Amino acid sequence: MIAETAATEKTGPSTDITLRVRDLHVSYGGAVRALDGVDLEVPRDSIVAVLGNNGAGKSSLLRTISGTLSMHGGSIVKGTVEFEGGSLDGIDPAGVVRAGVVQVPEGRRIFGELTVEENLRVAALATEDRRQRTAARERVYDLFPRLAERRSQRGSLLSGGEQQMLAIGRALMTSPRLLLLDEPSLGLAPNLVGHIAEVITDINRQGISVLIVEQDAAMALDIAAWAYVLEVGRVALEGRSQELANSPEIHDAYLGGQLTVEKDVVRPEPEEREARGLRIENLSIRFGGVKALDDVSFVVDPGTIHAVIGPNGAGKSTLINVLTGVYTADRGRVLFGDAELTAMRPHQIGGIGVSRTFQNIALSPDASVADNLMLGRHRLTRAGFFGSGLRMPWAMREQRTHRSRVEEIAELVGLAGVLDEHAGNLAYGYQKLVELGRALSTEPNLLLLDEPVAGMSASESLEMATIIRQVQSELGVTMVVVEHNMPFVMGLASRVTVLDFGRLIADGPPGDVQRNPDVISAYLGGSGDREIRKALEREAGNG
Amino acid sequence: MSYFLSLLVSGISIGFVYGLIALGFVIIFKATRVVNFTHAAIALFGAYVVARTHESLGFWLALLVGIAAAIVVNVAIDVVVLGNARRPDPGTLSIITIGLDILIGAELRRQIGFQTYGLGDPWGTGVIRVGGSFIPQTRVAAAVIAIVVIVLFALVFRFSNWGVAMRAASEDPEAAALMGVRLRRVSIAAWIVAGALATLAGVFFLTFPGGGVSNLAELAILGAFPAAIIGGLDSTGGAVAGGVLVGMTVTFAAGYQNEIAFLGRGVHEAAPFILMFIVLLIRPTGLFGTKELHRV
Repeated sequence: MIAETAATEKTGPSTDITLRVRDLHVSYGGAVRALDGVDLEVPRDSIVAVLGNNGAGKSSLLRTISGTLSMHGGSIVKGTVEFEGGSLDGIDPAGVVRAGVVQVPEGRRIFGELTVEENLRVAALATEDRRQRTAARERVYDLFPRLAERRSQRGSLLSGGEQQMLAIGRALMTSPRLLLLDEPSLGLAPNLVGHIAEVITDINRQGISVLIVEQDAAMALDIAAWAYVLEVGRVALEGRSQELANSPEIHDAYLGGQLTVEKDVVRPEPEEREARGLRIENLSIRFGGVKALDDVSFVVDPGTIHAVIGPNGAGKSTLINVLTGVYTADRGRVLFGDAELTAMRPHQIGGIGVSRTFQNIALSPDASVADNLMLGRHRLTRAGFFGSGLRMPWAMREQRTHRSRVEEIAELVGLAGVLDEHAGNLAYGYQKLVELGRALSTEPNLLLLDEPVAGMSASESLEMATIIRQVQSELGVTMVVVEHNMPFVMGLASRVTVLDFGRLIADGPPGDVQRNPDVISAYLGGSGDREIRKALEREAGNG
Repeated sequence: MSYFLSLLVSGISIGFVYGLIALGFVIIFKATRVVNFTHAAIALFGAYVVARTHESLGFWLALLVGIAAAIVVNVAIDVVVLGNARRPDPGTLSIITIGLDILIGAELRRQIGFQTYGLGDPWGTGVIRVGGSFIPQTRVAAAVIAIVVIVLFALVFRFSNWGVAMRAASEDPEAAALMGVRLRRVSIAAWIVAGALATLAGVFFLTFPGGGVSNLAELAILGAFPAAIIGGLDSTGGAVAGGVLVGMTVTFAAGYQNEIAFLGRGVHEAAPFILMFIVLLIRPTGLFGTKELHRV
């Protein structure tokens, strides 16, 4: 008893700690354990970072604090969350906001139908005091002059960078004392990430504590004083950001530097597969007044990995959508071997062995991983509706052959252990692998990967790169990888095409492209005010 | 020509009443994603309360009592039944409302029996002469009041705090909650507004052409459901437009029923549903509904 009292006195309510999470256990549906005894503190007026791979429990931590856990079918098994000495247990999200804690959700989630002004107004409703609201609005417009310029625009018309500004500005309208940021840099070009980092530091200087969850560990460690590393629901490591940034473990797992993938993996004989090249000729497509692709021509050699990179809105996803027949090009054509993809319907393109993965995961969440992969085999099955429905012997035999092939593919991409799990229950990183597995299940001749490592940490990206390379060497498939992540692409592709404004600005081996001055200014840019403005305009023009 | 004109005017005026009912559907759908199947029964309930109280209270006071009664029932449905559901996903809740609709409808039919109650409205059987045709005063009053209410609603929805919070919650409930919007309150407010709209519309609908509160009335009110779907379930403007479309369709189909007799007698009763099928075939999200946007 005495010992317990002493302990409470030592760590008891104190004004120096804004947020205190103690021994937090969280589970989903009573089964899946997401957090397993997390202790964490955010000292007053500080910035604290939480790092970790997908599925480490970062989102669950934020959901618990902001009170949205139950919306996702989760619940607190054990432990407490205290804000300024008072418990947040059992308080609904709106109550948490009124207590002074606000979360900027992952993926921005601004209200696209509402104007910028209305977006801010929604959040201001949590503040009763009219003067305080006005002050908050002025502060937000001060911090983001860009939002003031576009105040009567609808949210959906803003570019990605502007939307992130609006998401942060909107949260500030609630006059918070603790700001929770969930992946603020996701999907932004590097110079905008720098800008967002400066803004966060600014906000903190105004006396608002910040808890930031980030994939971009370099950015998070740069602005935070203290950092926690989560691994499978536990705090694996904590310490001063500076020290963590210099520690070799963190460096390898989250900072990564240049990805170097073993290029000389033991190379088994590639399977019999028709290696055909892809030829893109003078491709143009416009949406309204915007040229999404402008006279783009390049060649993908058979059996190689070819990367297409570029800032947000450069036309990368448009290119994939033209290749798969979702969009129809205004001019130009695409030849795969001697098949003209631009003259075919999407299902015909799929029929000749062109397969893709999706940037924003598009799986059947309630189906098992095995069934998701089996879906990819659809074009290869022959048993019809009645044969399968009546479980005829030939249909069952066919099913078994396909199932065993699916198991091989699962083995190849590292999904063997989770074949019977529901795809929707898997962590994000695994879902990305299921995407890849499903595309491979179609036995493709041409594989298009749309941002396969978006939102992944450096170590996960490395893993993905290794898997992709392995797939390429074992199956000999021609691959086109569209990516944002430079280091990932540089270590992986044999040839790189760079798009900007829908135009091709460079095409060549990774080393050459990396040194190309046009690429450096378009893609990496500086982070001065003019560059930010230019980056935003580029985004808006091509969005 | 004057017959055509009078049908047109009458169609538009009944259309705004349909629009009022549809607006109630839409507002609940926007706030909670629940398709509220009790709506027609609530409209009838409100009208029934008016019918039973107007003799002692007078029409206007009875109307207020009717609106209050419908609001009480609606709030009870939201708080007691839907608020305590174990699986609060919109699909389950919508199915619960089907059960509630059967319950409320059956009890109302039991209460009404084979009677037909008048509503005691001050317009009676008077007519107004427009050009060469006559239009019942009730129609004009209904259209005017419906338009006023709709405009008022649109203004509130566009400019008030409640309207902004409601539109935000409708677009992304979780993000709205994270910004401090109290979702429970938004939902209750929507049920309150829907209850008031339902009663108002029910009364106008049943004064003319409904001919009073009878046990067949609910079926007639159900014709407003296609109006909401035609307009697009999540569009308030669409609800009104859908209402006017349905109103005109029904009126013209009834007015020219001899000319279209080859389609069968009483085809005007089915007309809203036929129109709904046609619209959905061409535009699956209704005329003004938001498309499920999906970036690939």
